[in-house]
Amino acid sequence: MLVRCSTALQRFYVIMATSFDKSTVAAEARLSSNPAKKPRKMSTNAAAMTAAFDKYAHYLNTLNDKRERVVKASRDITINSKKVIFQVHRISKYNRDEVLEKAEKDLAAVTDQYMSRLVKELQGTDFWKLRRAYSPGVQEYVEAATLYEFCKTGKLLNLEAINASLLPLSDPSFEPLQINILDYVLGVADLTGELMRLAIGRISDGELEYAKTICRFVREIYRKLTLVVPTMDENYEMKKKMDTMLQSVVKIENACFSVHVRGSEYIPLLGCSDPNFSFLGAQVLEL
Amino acid sequence: MADAGDSSSSSSSSSMEKQFEGFLQQLEQSGNLRDRIRAVAAEIESSTRLMHSCLLLVHQSRPIPEVAARAEAQIDVLKGLYRRLAEILLELPGQYYRYHGDWRTETQTAISLIAFLHWLQTENLLEHSEVEQKLGLDSSEFGLDIEDYLIGICFMSNELPRYVVNQVTTGDYDCPRKVLAFLTDLHASFRMLNLRNDFLRKKFDGMKYDLRRVEEVYYDVKIRGLAPTGDSTGDQGTQA
Repeated sequence: MLVRCSTALQRFYVIMATSFDKSTVAAEARLSSNPAKKPRKMSTNAAAMTAAFDKYAHYLNTLNDKRERVVKASRDITINSKKVIFQVHRISKYNRDEVLEKAEKDLAAVTDQYMSRLVKELQGTDFWKLRRAYSPGVQEYVEAATLYEFCKTGKLLNLEAINASLLPLSDPSFEPLQINILDYVLGVADLTGELMRLAIGRISDGELEYAKTICRFVREIYRKLTLVVPTMDENYEMKKKMDTMLQSVVKIENACFSVHVRGSEYIPLLGCSDPNFSFLGAQVLEL
Repeated sequence: MADAGDSSSSSSSSSMEKQFEGFLQQLEQSGNLRDRIRAVAAEIESSTRLMHSCLLLVHQSRPIPEVAARAEAQIDVLKGLYRRLAEILLELPGQYYRYHGDWRTETQTAISLIAFLHWLQTENLLEHSEVEQKLGLDSSEFGLDIEDYLIGICFMSNELPRYVVNQVTTGDYDCPRKVLAFLTDLHASFRMLNLRNDFLRKKFDGMKYDLRRVEEVYYDVKIRGLAPTGDSTGDQGTQA
């Protein structure tokens, strides 16, 4: 009833409608031809629509480009954080300081080169909007940093400390990127998997006490997280990680148990080159 | 190394304790906030449902002003609800997108209905800035996400084929031409966007089926000589 189009517009439509053949051809031509040519043929309505969609297109292009760059930065952080983790796993009784020194350097390189790129990209905005794009990298980074810290000091690196180390990377005039609790907790959950490997490695190296320390540490993390996880935002991913974490804890416990129970047979054999006895050691390792 | 671990384990576990207690507190706070947001989102949802049921009357060829008056009452309700939502989120600057998922779908539906109503009244597309205006949103504080807006517009497009079919059935033979022209322009405009492989892309891909359906209806009307020829401004008013 309130159809009040301008008369010019009406005429345009009427012309369109006078011939069925012409109008469908026109409609098809519109669909297939380059949208950039549109405005000339379109009514004022359509021109306004085009102008509005130009703005939306610009917004989407900018956002998608930024997202792509963030994803790339995140992937670089992941790859290089993994290298730090592998470096830490090269640790043994004899080369501890040397290995950790290299790991520290590698970790600093990840922070300076790759985290800084992410920080610059996210300067001031979109921390939550683009979280999906950078979350994997940040989790891996948390994992590497906490693993290194544990080997160095036996403590869990706090989120506060990590975030403090990120501050110098960003321009002080912007709101700095701070890792959120969710990504930190997800990273710590992955840390327990690495600690399990580390513990098994230490046992096979004869460092039973160190393995037990790891065991207590991982158990404590698991216990703390059981309280935190139900309150997390989207906790499907985290619930899966909790299951994996429990498996890791149990694996370390079983390994410690085996060595403890068979300790009398096992420990004296360490370093023994007699091939007849290596079988016993191997059995422990499989657990 | 082992004793180093031992001696530090007590102090480490207490600092760990403190950190995780802090997390628990913050996450619980965040959870409470989310509950408040969800409560408002639920109200938005029920308001859009009312609005939808009002708008459904156009399929029963009720006059547009009557339908619009009822539906517009809900826009005011929505405006109030979005103000409440904005107030909650202004407590946490910069965390708009942390909770975005909790009101997204409801907002998309609201946009589709408001845009459909606007189209019924003016035969124009309701622009992003106009929706913000209608809902009393301010993009500097609490704005409307452009992707949500575009998805809402795609939903609106889904309504049009049904509207055309029912209008023709009640004797408004000019309707298909109008809708076809509008939808053709809209589809062309969407083609200007570089979309990712996401939900918006999927909805846009669906729009061509709406367009095709409207073309079919227009064809059916046209080929039987039912479509009005010449200046049809006169009877349009009474038919709609």
